[in-house]
Amino acid sequence: MPSFLEIVLGIIQALVLMALSPLMTGIMRKTKAKTQKRMGASIFQPYYDMVKLMRKDEVVSDQSSWIFRCTPWVNFAAIGTAAFFIPVFLSYSPFGLVGDLLLVVGLFGLGRFFTMLAGLDTSSTFGGVGSSREMMVSTLLEPALFLAIFVVALTYGGTNLSTLVEGASNSSLLPHPQLIFAAIALFVVILGETGRLPFGNHATHLELTMMHEAMVLEYSGKSLALIDWSQSIKQIILFSLIVNIFTPWGISSSVSATLLGLGLVIFVVKISVFAIFVAFLESSIAKWRLFRIPDLITVAIASSLVGLALYYL
Amino acid sequence: MGMIQSDVLTISGAILLIATFGVIARRGFMDWLNAYRLQSVVLAAVTAIIGYVTGIWEIYIAAGLTLVIKSLVIPKVLTHVTKSLEIESKTDFNPYLSLRTSIIVSAFLVTMSYFLSQQIPFKSDPVVNVFLPVSMAQFFLGLFALVNRRTALSQVVGLLVIENGLFLFTLVLTHGVSLIIEVGIFADILVGIVISSILLFRMSRTFDSLDVDRLENLRDD
Repeated sequence: MPSFLEIVLGIIQALVLMALSPLMTGIMRKTKAKTQKRMGASIFQPYYDMVKLMRKDEVVSDQSSWIFRCTPWVNFAAIGTAAFFIPVFLSYSPFGLVGDLLLVVGLFGLGRFFTMLAGLDTSSTFGGVGSSREMMVSTLLEPALFLAIFVVALTYGGTNLSTLVEGASNSSLLPHPQLIFAAIALFVVILGETGRLPFGNHATHLELTMMHEAMVLEYSGKSLALIDWSQSIKQIILFSLIVNIFTPWGISSSVSATLLGLGLVIFVVKISVFAIFVAFLESSIAKWRLFRIPDLITVAIASSLVGLALYYL
Repeated sequence: MGMIQSDVLTISGAILLIATFGVIARRGFMDWLNAYRLQSVVLAAVTAIIGYVTGIWEIYIAAGLTLVIKSLVIPKVLTHVTKSLEIESKTDFNPYLSLRTSIIVSAFLVTMSYFLSQQIPFKSDPVVNVFLPVSMAQFFLGLFALVNRRTALSQVVGLLVIENGLFLFTLVLTHGVSLIIEVGIFADILVGIVISSILLFRMSRTFDSLDVDRLENLRDD
């Protein structure tokens, strides 16, 4: 049984993830603006946006059903719950007793399922386009994600996130070449799951480039704020997974104030560096044609397959 | 053989494998050529690492030759050939298998080469253990690229990847054949590239295309 202190720390970890998530979105937007020789909004702009949206009124179509109204809450609840299982600056999460990495993926699936239903619910054409694209991409992304997870889980002996991160922080990456292939696959999957280029583009509201944005186009006010926030939390969860599994340096393995503080600082630095890297990558490539996206996902699947081969042979 | 040394060997083998995948997973001739160039740079680094591990100085010369000839001279010659051919070779991309099928096929080829290299009873040597499957994977992927592509220019790249695999294969098994033979092989590759570029010129002049299927057509003149 985890002690009371550990449970408090686990809650703090989840709250840190939720609080930092809009900051990561802001940092990525700022980086992209800088690469395009623009000033860009402040990195705290997503927080201001959220506060402003919270204060605004909502417009809900009278053609929509209860699904449309409850989706932001279901989505937020699913992704917020997933945040409790992620080791952030402590190498284990006390809530790891009740759920592992597969549960996190399942919770993401639940949130996505309701978002797709909500896109169809308002029967606007944009929502339908967004939902059908999301369905196509997510059915392809999920096997790639699971294969990559299995490579990592086989290496460290379990799908429990605490086992994974503790295993990673205790052993070096070098004797496990299959992890390089898993990292490549996971990186591609994360680009797809968060709707980054070349899968989709967050910055525009053009019909051609929208995927996630098209589904949630009808939302306004508090619901939009919730949806944006849960999207940011999902992004930071995926980023911290890849950062903590493949570069677990500096994560604290024991409950001591200095180590935890150091772990938090190192975590913020690592994840910011990763976010800036993704933003740079995004500025250097263009959106791919929708039917070329399976090619990229196939690269992820093939990479995980080679990783599996390296593990077994 | 320290722990760190075998770690470096494993990781460099994995990186070489990724670089080889680049030749499959890109589209367009110039992309393949760039992928081949990258692969040759990685191969030169791997050769130098093998030279360091085995402590044979001749391998360093082979690494230098790999770097100069395969990553500088050959891509330059092939780029020159592409520019002087009148046919638009960059847009000419229709392999027999689609890109995503060929990526999956190459993943299975890599798995197969790991499986095959385990069936061959060799004395357990870290260099052989790591790089023998990688060299076989290079050979198979090059062969696959060769048979999967229609234009003669792209098939040359497949041939070069096969050659890289064979180079690594001999290097790993013999720990460096004598330098004279290495130099001879490099000269052979250069001559081969020159001959194949002459053939490409002839082909493009006679058929107005680099598609090898056209060679089977009967002509009356």
